[in-house]
Amino acid sequence: MSQVKHPQDFWSGILFAVVGVLALWLGRNYAFGAMTRMGPGFLPTVLAWGLVGIGAFLVARSFLLRGQPISPSAVRPQLMIVIAIVVFALLIERVGLAPTVVAVGVIASLATSEMRWRETIPLTLFMAALCVLLFIKLLGQTMLPWTWSF
Amino acid sequence: MDVFSNLATGFSVAVSFQNLAFCLIGCLLGTLIGVLPGIGPIATIAMLLPVTFGLDPLAALIMLAGIYYGAQYGGSTTAILVNLPGETSSVITCLDGYQMAKRGRAGAALTIAALGSFFAGCVGTIAIAMFAPVLAGFAEKFRSPEYFSLMLFGLVAAVVLAHGSVIKAVAMVLLGLLVGLVGTDTQAGVTRFTFGVSELYDGIDFVPLAMGLFGIAEMMTNLDRKFEDRSQTQKIGSLWPTREEVKLAVPAALRGTILGSLLGILPGGGAVLASFSSYTLEKKVSRSRAMFGKGAVEGVAGPEAANNAGAQTSFIPLLTLGIPSTPVMAIMVGAMMIQGIAPGTALITERPTLFWGMIASMWIGNLMLVVINLPLIGLWVSLLRVPYRMLFPCIVILCCVGAYAISSSPFLVMMMAGFAVLGYTFGKLGCEGAPFLLGFVLGPLMEENLRRSMVLSFGSPMIFFERPISLVLLLMSAALVLMIVLPSFRRTREVAFQE
Repeated sequence: MSQVKHPQDFWSGILFAVVGVLALWLGRNYAFGAMTRMGPGFLPTVLAWGLVGIGAFLVARSFLLRGQPISPSAVRPQLMIVIAIVVFALLIERVGLAPTVVAVGVIASLATSEMRWRETIPLTLFMAALCVLLFIKLLGQTMLPWTWSF
Repeated sequence: MDVFSNLATGFSVAVSFQNLAFCLIGCLLGTLIGVLPGIGPIATIAMLLPVTFGLDPLAALIMLAGIYYGAQYGGSTTAILVNLPGETSSVITCLDGYQMAKRGRAGAALTIAALGSFFAGCVGTIAIAMFAPVLAGFAEKFRSPEYFSLMLFGLVAAVVLAHGSVIKAVAMVLLGLLVGLVGTDTQAGVTRFTFGVSELYDGIDFVPLAMGLFGIAEMMTNLDRKFEDRSQTQKIGSLWPTREEVKLAVPAALRGTILGSLLGILPGGGAVLASFSSYTLEKKVSRSRAMFGKGAVEGVAGPEAANNAGAQTSFIPLLTLGIPSTPVMAIMVGAMMIQGIAPGTALITERPTLFWGMIASMWIGNLMLVVINLPLIGLWVSLLRVPYRMLFPCIVILCCVGAYAISSSPFLVMMMAGFAVLGYTFGKLGCEGAPFLLGFVLGPLMEENLRRSMVLSFGSPMIFFERPISLVLLLMSAALVLMIVLPSFRRTREVAFQE
């Protein structure tokens, strides 16, 4: 087995093919219909096969064509930001806007090692006040500034 | 003369105190976010979209248009002062704008960019006022086959103009179309790919998708790099260009405006193509070619004007045909849908005040940018000096609140996180987000029109070739595909994107 020479193409090929196969499997019960009367499965099936085809092509070509390596990820920033967003989704209806914003701000700040507490704390408090003012007072969104319901 | 009476109607709506205020707020907010390094107009608009939810449709559209111009303007400020392009269309501005700044002419470069953009914006607005009704009249002849072929042409153009691998761009379009089909198939009454989640029955919401895919994912990519020291922001100096600079800038801006207005109308073209081609043109006609890349005035004036003219005229296909030709326009469609407006032929005839009011406010927005931003330049520069470690948590917060505000649903916030990871992965794998976004918006529309065409033709795909307008559109798509296949164009395309 020869080596993968184009990692970007190899992995995007895998991604496309996997999504295509997944779509075919999930959509296996959607009626395909006929040309005159296309069923709900018609276009998804066509698109999914297209993705599988291109995916396979990219994977095959990545053994022949040379390409750039995938640049390394720092992991910590991406992880912290995803956690921050998930925490927002979990907290917003339990503790209200202001405490949620503070929590999200602090977690997101931890994405970089350059974070400084004496900057982050005032900043997140300011953002909490701003969000309450902007979204609740000015834009009239139905959110509570704070609450407690677990 | 009709154009002027129509424009007059528009201005009478747009100059109400409320609408002027929203235009101003839009411009300011757009510049505020757009000036931040590493955030392009797509991310800016996606992030600020929730702010417009509570407004009435006209005010919301006016504000969004303001945000769009503000974001574009903010992008060129960052490009000139710190050599950081926020988006692809200001990459070109970096080349000579930053070099001018290094020579101490930053102020002049900013003024030239602003005035060039303003002039181009004026011409672009008139172009919309003149051509949109004509095109809309023409579009009344469009039936499903024509719409399908037009969308196909738009997608082909998006693929051709994407950077990097063409085959990957095709896959991204397919993926976008597929993701766009998630939700209830209204004709068959079946839900597709919803996993039984009721939030997905109406399809994947546009705002969390765009914010995740562009705003948050861009930020995640930025955080992979070490933060560059931005204390070296160039001094602004005098805002007034010298007489020689004006002499060079005016014709360049004129040429850029014409080129940009034409290219902006093309689907998939828009601002990016306009600024690239304008730069190439200026380099060709200039007598002092050696100056390019070292701070040529024409290299700032031409592309900036082209960029803005293209940004303006790319509204034409959206407003008349209801087809978004660029990712930014795709966001505008999303915004219009939220407001209950269906962009398309009917817009001009059924809601003339909305249509003309928006066009008038585009011009006002352009004017405001010049009047407000040049005096406020000091403020934007100080914003540039705020360290990134303090900026990005604020962006995360605003995106979260924005995603939640759409329908008070934590699920949408979670979905945004998912799309952020997806967008980051795309970036790592060298896949472009723009074709994906266009595919996503066009997916359901294409399916509907394909279905209707097939019903019309009793299942024969020949219908697309038998109808003249549809045939022309398909031939144009084929020509674009041929252009990629031909080796000579391929080479120029690579060269153009490498610069």
